[in-house]
Amino acid sequence: MSTLTERAPLASPPPPEPIPAEPNYLNNSFSIWSWLLTVDHKRIGILYLVSITVFFVVGGIAAGLVRLSLVVNDSSIVTEDTYNRLFTAHGVVMLFFFLIPAVPAVFGNFLIPMMIGAKDLAFPKLNLASWYVFMIGAIMAVWAVLAGGIDTGWTLYPPYSSRSSTSNVIPGVMGAFISGFSSIMTGLNIMVTIHKMRAPGMTWGRLPLFVWAMYATSLIQLLATPVVAITLFLLMVERAWGVGIFDPALGGDPLLFQHLFWFYSHPAVYIMIVPGMGVISEVLPCFARKNIFGYRAIAWSSMGIAVVGFLLWAHHMFVAGISFYSALLFSLLSMLVAVPSAIKVFNWTATLYRGSITFQAPMLFSLGFVVLFTIGGLTGLFLATTGTDIHLHDTYFVVAHFHFVMVGGMVLGYFAALHFWWPKMTGRLYSDWWSRIAATIIIVGFFFTFIPQFVMGYHGHPRRYPNYPAEFQIYHVMSTAGASILGIGYLIPAIYLTLSLFNGQKAGANPWAATGLEWSTPSPPSVHNFDTTPVVVCGPYEYAIGVDQMGRGLPEGPGEGGPLGIASHEGHPSPPGPMIKETEVVG
Amino acid sequence: MSASTHHSVLKHHFDNLEQQHAAERLGMWMFLATEVLFFGGLFGGYTVYRMWYSEAFAVASSHLNQTIATINTLLLITSSLTMTLAIRSARFGDKGGLYRNLLLTAGLGTAFMVMKGFEYAEDFHEHYVPGVLFQRAHDSAAEAVAGLSRLEAEDFFKKNPQHPEWARELVLANHGKSLGDPGYVNADHVQLFLCFYYIMTGIHGIHIIVGIGCILWLVLETYRGMIPPANYSTVEVVSLYWHLVDAIWLFLMPLLYLAGAGLVH
Amino acid sequence: MSGLLHLIPERASTLADMFEALFWYITITVSLAGLLVYGALFWFCVKYRRGKSSPSTPRILGSERLEITWTIIPLLIFLTFFGVGVWVFNYYAHPPEDAMEIFIIGKQWMWKAQYPDGQRVIIGGNPANMTEAERNSIGRLVVPIHRPVRLTMTSEDVIHDFGLPAFRAKMDVLPGRYTTMWFEANKLGEYHIFCDQYCGTWHSLMVGKVAVVEQGEFMDWLAGHKPLQGSDNAVDGSLAWEGRQLFLKLQCIKCHSDAANSGAPSLSGIYGTRVALDGGGAEIVDSAYIHESILKPRAKIVRNYKPVMPSYEGQVTPEDLNKLVAYIRSLKDGRPPTWTERFPIPEGAPTERPEPKSPEKK
Repeated sequence: MSTLTERAPLASPPPPEPIPAEPNYLNNSFSIWSWLLTVDHKRIGILYLVSITVFFVVGGIAAGLVRLSLVVNDSSIVTEDTYNRLFTAHGVVMLFFFLIPAVPAVFGNFLIPMMIGAKDLAFPKLNLASWYVFMIGAIMAVWAVLAGGIDTGWTLYPPYSSRSSTSNVIPGVMGAFISGFSSIMTGLNIMVTIHKMRAPGMTWGRLPLFVWAMYATSLIQLLATPVVAITLFLLMVERAWGVGIFDPALGGDPLLFQHLFWFYSHPAVYIMIVPGMGVISEVLPCFARKNIFGYRAIAWSSMGIAVVGFLLWAHHMFVAGISFYSALLFSLLSMLVAVPSAIKVFNWTATLYRGSITFQAPMLFSLGFVVLFTIGGLTGLFLATTGTDIHLHDTYFVVAHFHFVMVGGMVLGYFAALHFWWPKMTGRLYSDWWSRIAATIIIVGFFFTFIPQFVMGYHGHPRRYPNYPAEFQIYHVMSTAGASILGIGYLIPAIYLTLSLFNGQKAGANPWAATGLEWSTPSPPSVHNFDTTPVVVCGPYEYAIGVDQMGRGLPEGPGEGGPLGIASHEGHPSPPGPMIKETEVVG
Repeated sequence: MSASTHHSVLKHHFDNLEQQHAAERLGMWMFLATEVLFFGGLFGGYTVYRMWYSEAFAVASSHLNQTIATINTLLLITSSLTMTLAIRSARFGDKGGLYRNLLLTAGLGTAFMVMKGFEYAEDFHEHYVPGVLFQRAHDSAAEAVAGLSRLEAEDFFKKNPQHPEWARELVLANHGKSLGDPGYVNADHVQLFLCFYYIMTGIHGIHIIVGIGCILWLVLETYRGMIPPANYSTVEVVSLYWHLVDAIWLFLMPLLYLAGAGLVH
Repeated sequence: MSGLLHLIPERASTLADMFEALFWYITITVSLAGLLVYGALFWFCVKYRRGKSSPSTPRILGSERLEITWTIIPLLIFLTFFGVGVWVFNYYAHPPEDAMEIFIIGKQWMWKAQYPDGQRVIIGGNPANMTEAERNSIGRLVVPIHRPVRLTMTSEDVIHDFGLPAFRAKMDVLPGRYTTMWFEANKLGEYHIFCDQYCGTWHSLMVGKVAVVEQGEFMDWLAGHKPLQGSDNAVDGSLAWEGRQLFLKLQCIKCHSDAANSGAPSLSGIYGTRVALDGGGAEIVDSAYIHESILKPRAKIVRNYKPVMPSYEGQVTPEDLNKLVAYIRSLKDGRPPTWTERFPIPEGAPTERPEPKSPEKK
């Protein structure tokens, strides 16, 4: 182990607790119009937060009913038709109206200007418009799934969706089509903001990794979403006017739909996961009190996933009728994208080495993310390998794989973000004890829900089957039991987070003693974020030295008892030891 | 004019006008990238089918109105010129010139849409639209000459011009042939071409209308004094969009209208 | 409730053995890697928790050597997965020359299998959705052991997938084109057939069994199995079936669908009957009349119907006409043609068939 001495910036003493912002962005006006016509990125983030929570509940209820009906191996609890509409509702609502906007539209909107020292996003009115577009699309699609439902699966393959299905396909597809534009607007806004509105000293090399992750995500949102927009449009035209764009009876090709659809939908899964990875990169260093290991590697990995992710789409189509050589090509490329994800996991693990770790809820959720995402990613390899995919395609193995990455990964990442930035956004602390319990229950419940599904899939149990062979029933019962635990786990934060808004201890500016610029503002922040433009002198995550990005000292990190309240922050001594720290480079 | 008099055009969340303009320009370029991908899906689908059904697509394309398409191309290219001149006018504070060039651009764009309107009207009148209309026109032409020899059929059509030209051509081309014979033109594939034709030109037309709207907004902003020379980049940003719509047309036109250019009628 | 499943699912084909080799190679490798990572995570969390370790942490930024190592090694391992995967996939994707061909048609919501000599079996499906004859032909896909079998498949309506988990094989079944898969069964027994591409309401009932039997038993089964003949709407590969394809493709069904106000006479049970004509007289509905009605519909119109039927002159060959007649002939009283029976004839798109096909040909 060699030792490299790097001149760390001289730390000024920790700043005094900022005066609470009066008014802050929440209480500067209580009128409904001040919310519905706001151009403040923070309020728009909250609008998104409320909306996607509602959709999460809708999608979750659909999931609950699906799992409930699967405890018996026939259609005695719900009919086949109802089951088909339920799993479609679950997929459509969760993917388009929860996962895609979750971290980008809530936390990206709220935090990116603050993390880079800006007063707002580049185009505040566009931001508000994006929420309205999102809501119009979401309400249309959710209405379609609730009032009668759609029975095509979220994947909408024609000719079933364009000819055969008699359900609310067009309103549902129209809803998804419209809300896609919201995704494009948000992505565009975030990218321009990061390019043009960084505070002095905030070079690309000093950006928090959350910002890098959001940049990569926005790139995907910008470039992939238009393709699905035109695909959905063509599908609606085909269904409405009976023309044969994808219908072989009239000269069309159903595989064209699949190619166009997956060209978006594969990068879309990276839209969903990369922001979560960004959150983990923020939380782990803070709760280990150490620099992130491999900042550049993680930043490049995010960009690598975004770019390479565009080249893999047909790995969803290995048995769809594509040529042998196409399948080989897409399989090879899919192996490439697994590498940056693996790199991130290794770097996160290495961050913990010789750290000083506490296990508050954000950390528990983040560790859960790393564990569950690893399983999700590793099982993806089975699907990227052509030889194994033949058997595993369209079985519960796939279902388990994507739930591991999307729920075990992304939902946990979302909860980590929620718990980490809740004090900043609301100015309140929540119950440390209950949050740790909730995190544990969610992780355990999740595990029991989806591990049996890997077994079932390996044994060939197909997806989307309300009637299934009896030998699988015991696994379905196990899975539903796990889902019940998971459901309870989700309810608990709903309760204590809501209670914290009324009874929670008031949070200081920096309850986690974190280094980002957003923590230098009062909690909740003022309308314009910063009174004076911050000047950045060093990179993020200087926990070992104990300075924030403006070079000011950090208080000592959150102890075993939870986040720092206001009182514990005041008068805290500067971090011990010399300000100039030797940097050890491993290996 | 000093910077302080332009303080009203600086938006509150930007530090200075330079940052604002840079952000607006970058934002527009990114938006253009999304438009390229949006149309890209359509171009991709069209390309696949044109490769598979080249003959039917050539025949289908030959019945479109190349004259109107050419006029439209000239209109759009000219409008890009006037749009660029508008930027110049804005930069040099030539308000009169700015109004003139903006209104000219909008006018040329409107003329494009008017010509398009005529073209669509003509196509609809001839039932050259995928779906029931096409089917009926084709069937009535086929039935009218059922059982006649080729020469008799040609003669009949000359005497009965109410059958649209495309239907006549299709029926005559397929005379005596059936599905699978060389030279047989599959009417389904002709309809597929028409699907793409209408969707691509239709969506392009919507983009033109939006562009005209933006240009008229620019006229309004000029009137309100929001486009002094220091803020000319607003005109530039709209012009970027306009040029892209023009560029898309330059690809669209040959692909759709000139696919059957080698065919003799 | 039965007990837990076996660790390794039943293997009944040559491909299955190769699959398992690959599957367990990947499983063991990733499990080891995963355990290493989890071990490190757990160990660090325990050893370096606050209070146990010193509150001052070292300023470690990274290690280029480690980054390179843990980039290259996983990449190489993933490439071996790819490589072995290609070995398995290649085996699966290239059927041997001498494979026995069985023709499979997927339709909402059943499978129809047809053997080289015409024996036909219906697999799976919702009995409530089937005709009497279909219900009577429900059976298993019987295949001989130790012989390569190639399935040539197409769909009559939407996309399905013929899945054989015990053989570790599946392939999508598409309308408008043929796809193929093959297997060589190497274990006697009965195994699941699943539809593995969501296709609508009864997707989960499109299931059945494949029975692997000794060669002798297979020959006996073939000999004893009477192929479905000329009964209502369920004949495949026959003239009537091809006629049905045409009936739908030419959109005859738009008017001749038995719907109210369809504007066209019902065709169910019409063959051989006498129909009254417009302007007096009557005609027996036979092959000649049907030919004439298709080519010159205005010549003899059924009474009380308007002369709206278009001519199909130039769109149908004489062979096509025979197929249409065979189909109309097969339409029994009360059994009108239905939408779900869409035609599978590939047209235009490149296919997976052994013989190369050029577009725009039938």
